[in-house]
Amino acid sequence: MTDEDRRLREAMARAHRADRAPPFSRTWARRSPRAARSSLRPLVVLCSGLGAFALAGVWVVARTPPRPSPPVPAFARWVAPTDFLLQTPDLVTLRTLPSLVPAGDPLLSPPHDGRRETR
Amino acid sequence: MAPDDLEQQIAALHPASFAWALACTRWNAADAEEVLQSVYLSILEGRARFDGRSGFKTWLFSVVRNVSARQRRRRWLEERLPWKAFRGAQGSGPHDALDAEEQGARVRRALGQLTARQREVLDLVFFHELTIEEAAAVMGVALGTARAHYHRGKLRLLALLGPEELR
Repeated sequence: MTDEDRRLREAMARAHRADRAPPFSRTWARRSPRAARSSLRPLVVLCSGLGAFALAGVWVVARTPPRPSPPVPAFARWVAPTDFLLQTPDLVTLRTLPSLVPAGDPLLSPPHDGRRETR
Repeated sequence: MAPDDLEQQIAALHPASFAWALACTRWNAADAEEVLQSVYLSILEGRARFDGRSGFKTWLFSVVRNVSARQRRRRWLEERLPWKAFRGAQGSGPHDALDAEEQGARVRRALGQLTARQREVLDLVFFHELTIEEAAAVMGVALGTARAHYHRGKLRLLALLGPEELR
């Protein structure tokens, strides 16, 4: 041990000279840390409450059945007053290609080569 | 270890444990006693168990250090709680009373200027007479780290105290 070490040891002993350890029996008998009435308890309770509330919210949202699709608004079924003009008397004829050549006569029907006739 | 043996060993080390708890709590006697109560409770409830891998004193001191660090963190958080802000400043009481004593006050002030690890390793080596290796086990650091804190802390404490205090 060096001289410095010895002096430091004495200095540390001086620092601890005023230490007054409480009786062991008292400390041993209590064994009830202040943590039992810690100020953190309200914080823990608050956080637990908020967590439970958030969980309940998630559960409720997850359990809610999907809402039925909204009814089709009336304007979607709106019919213009001029729509009747499109209802031509020969609507059926216009939807099909009128045949100029009577079907079944091979002499009158031209060969079909896929080309359009030009004039 | 039988409960009676355990109690006897703890009782034998009680003054040293209290001194170590004081060093861990910056000489706040009330905090040191509370730390010891928590330590004893942890041991009795089996949350801290001696497994024989180190000496009993080394193990007990490491439990004291861990509990003290936990308490310090809790205090730090408690001081920032909104409902604590209305209670006003509380005097440190026993701390002031101890500091008011003439003997050792300068050494304690000098120790207070060291880092926590420097203070701890010096206290363990020079007051509790542990080896640096045992101190490293108590502090939960590598031996090289403890050595570095020991040398730096020693040099700084010698410089802070000066020749007058070390006569």
